[in-house]
Amino acid sequence: MIDRTIETDVLVIGGGGGGLRAAVAAHDAGARVLVLSKGIVGKSGLTQTAVTGFQVAFGYADPRDNPEIHYGDTIRGGYGLADPELARIFCDEAIAAVEDIESFGARFDREEDGKLIQRKLDSSQTYPRSIKKGDSLGTPIMQALRREMNKRDVPRMHEMLVTKLLKDGDRVCGAIALDFQKGQIVEIRAGAIIMATGGAGELFPVHSNTPDSTGDGYALALNAGADLVDIEFLLMLGHAVLHPATVRGVLFTFQYLLTKGAKPLFNSEGEPFLSNYDPEGNDNPARHIYARAVYGEVREGRGSPHGGAFFDPGSVSHETLMDSLPSQTKYLEKFGVDMTQPIEVGAAAHYVCGGIKINTHSQSTVPGLFAVGECSGGPHGAGRIGGNSLTEILVFGKRAGSEAAAFANAQGAGAPNNDEVSAEARRVTSYLSRERIGPRPNEIKTRLQKLMNDYVGVVRNDEGLRNTIAEFERMEREDLPAMSMAEDNRVGNYDWVEALEVTAMIRFARAMAGAALLRTESRGAHYREDYPELDDKNWLQNIVIRHTGNEDTLAYETKECTPGPEYTAVLKEAG
Amino acid sequence: MEKFNITLYRFDPSCDDKPRLQSYDIESDGPLSVLQAIRNVYHKVDGTLSFRNSDCRRGVCGICSMMINGRRQLTCMCLATDGMTVEPPPNRTIVKDLVFETD
Repeated sequence: MIDRTIETDVLVIGGGGGGLRAAVAAHDAGARVLVLSKGIVGKSGLTQTAVTGFQVAFGYADPRDNPEIHYGDTIRGGYGLADPELARIFCDEAIAAVEDIESFGARFDREEDGKLIQRKLDSSQTYPRSIKKGDSLGTPIMQALRREMNKRDVPRMHEMLVTKLLKDGDRVCGAIALDFQKGQIVEIRAGAIIMATGGAGELFPVHSNTPDSTGDGYALALNAGADLVDIEFLLMLGHAVLHPATVRGVLFTFQYLLTKGAKPLFNSEGEPFLSNYDPEGNDNPARHIYARAVYGEVREGRGSPHGGAFFDPGSVSHETLMDSLPSQTKYLEKFGVDMTQPIEVGAAAHYVCGGIKINTHSQSTVPGLFAVGECSGGPHGAGRIGGNSLTEILVFGKRAGSEAAAFANAQGAGAPNNDEVSAEARRVTSYLSRERIGPRPNEIKTRLQKLMNDYVGVVRNDEGLRNTIAEFERMEREDLPAMSMAEDNRVGNYDWVEALEVTAMIRFARAMAGAALLRTESRGAHYREDYPELDDKNWLQNIVIRHTGNEDTLAYETKECTPGPEYTAVLKEAG
Repeated sequence: MEKFNITLYRFDPSCDDKPRLQSYDIESDGPLSVLQAIRNVYHKVDGTLSFRNSDCRRGVCGICSMMINGRRQLTCMCLATDGMTVEPPPNRTIVKDLVFETD
C-alpha cells in the first residue's frame, strides 16, 4: 500500500554536497526539484566532514601548476583507469567550481596578497594544489549550499530511505521510499533522478564515513539496470585513529605535519617503514600505500596493540598542531587522547573509487538516471587522489543538475508500472509482519562487516574472495529471509531502515567482491596478494557490472581503457 | 569491561499518555561517547528504542544534540558517564523516544 504520492521534475536522492549542488543547478535550469535524504538534508552526508583538501590548479603556490598537470596527476593516481573525458572535465572546470561556490558565500583561506593558500598532501600531487579552510573544509561548502537551497526554497524531505527506482520502459520515472518519521511508504514520480547517495564505508567495521554510508545508491542503480564500474577499487586509508574506540575511524591528517618536522609513522620497534612499501621509495607515499604498509607491519608482528602503527603528535609543538590541524586536535583531546604521546593509527575504509558509470552528461547507462559524487564511477579509475572528491561533487553536481532538468523537460513524466509499485510496497512492509525469531539486521550487518574486513579490505586473494562471495550468496538465501526486527512499530523504527539497508549492502558487497576476484592483478586501491604486480598487458581494463534480467545474477564485462600519454609517460619514468 | 547505567527518554505519542524515563545497564570494553552508548542500548539491550543514525560522529552536523543531564550538548562529543540521563531538547514535537521533528 502506498501511503502518499508526490510529483516532481527532478528527484535528488542524497542531501550532501553533491546532492545540494545538483539541486540548486536543476532549480536554476527551471525544474521543480525535490531533495530526499536518509538523514537531514544539508546536515547529513560526508561532505561536511571533509577536512583538509580540495584540489584546484590555480598555480598560486607554484606557477608551474595548471589544469593539465592536475589532469596528469588524476590519470596517474587512477592508474590509467579513470575515464579520460570525465577526468578532463573536472580538472578543467575546477577553477570555475571554486569561483562558483565562493559566489555562494563560501570563503577559503588566503595568503596576505588575497590569493588562495595551496598545500601539498602527498606525493600524488605534482605541485601544492589543495586549498583549505582551517582543517574543516566541508563546513563552508555545506553552509553556502544550504543558504542557496533556502534562498530558492527548494523542497526537501528528511529521513526518507529510497528502496527502489521505478522504470517506464528503459527510463526511470520515480522511486519508492520509506518515511522513517511517519512510517509511511511514499511513491515519488519524477522525470529524472539524480543519485547523490555517497559511499559505502559502513560495509567495513572501521571507516571514515558517516554511519549511514551503506551504499544504497549502488544497489538501487544495479537493480534498476544501470552499469557500475571500477567498484573493486575501495580506497583504504592508513591515517585513521584506531584507539580509543570513541574516536575510532576518525581521520587525523598528520601528513601535513611532516613538512613541519613531525616524525614519520613508525612501528612497534620504533622504526619508520613507509618507504619500504612504496615502489618509488617515498616516505610520504600516496594515500592507499599507507594502509597496505601498516597492514604489512601488523602482519610481521610489528603493529600497535589495536592493529595499526604509531604517529607521534608530540614530535611537533602543540602550537604547530593547533595551527595546522586545530579541529582534529581539539576533537581528539576532547576524548582524552594525549597529543604529546604516540597515537595508534591505521586502516579505515574511506572511498569507493568507482560506482554508477556516468558519461559526460553525468548520466548513467539508464536514461533519466544521473549520478554525482562518490556513488558515481568513471572520473577516478583505480584510485582517487586526495582532494579530488570536493572538486568532483561541485563540477559534476552542477552538470548533473542542469542535465537532469533538461532530460525531465524534454521527456516529461513517465508512467510507473503499478504491479512493480505494489510489489515493492509489499516487500518493504513485509518486515512488519515477520515473526521475531531471526537475526536482527545489525547482527547480519556485523557478519558482513567482518567478512569485508578480512577478505575484501586492504589485502585480497582468490580463496578468500571466493569463500566470501559464497557466504554472501548464502546470506542472501538464508539470513535475509529470516531477518526480523525488534518490533513492528512503523514510526521511527530504525530496525526497519536497517533491514532494508543490509539487504542493499549485501547486494553491493557481493558485486564488489566479484569484481575484486575477477581482477587478477594489483592496481591502485585494489591489492591481491596472489597477484601483487600491476599488469598493464592484460588489465588496462575497466570492469563493468550489471544485472542480467534476473536481479540476482550479476554479469561482469571488461572494457579496454586507453589512458593516453599522461599514463604511459609515467610508466616510462618508472622504468 | 566498563559498566554504565544510562537513563533515556521514552515516549510513543501514538499510545503513551506521557513520557517516561527508562534506565538501562550497558557494558563496554572502553569509554563510549553518549551517542555510542545510545546505539549500544539499541543494538544490545532494547530494540524498541527510536533514535537517529545519520549524524557525522564528530561534532559538525549537530543532528545528535540532546539534553544530557539537563544541558544541551552533542551526544557524539560527550563521554558517557554512569548515571547520566539523556532526553530530547525541550519544546520539540516528539516523533518517538529520541527522535523529534526537525526544522
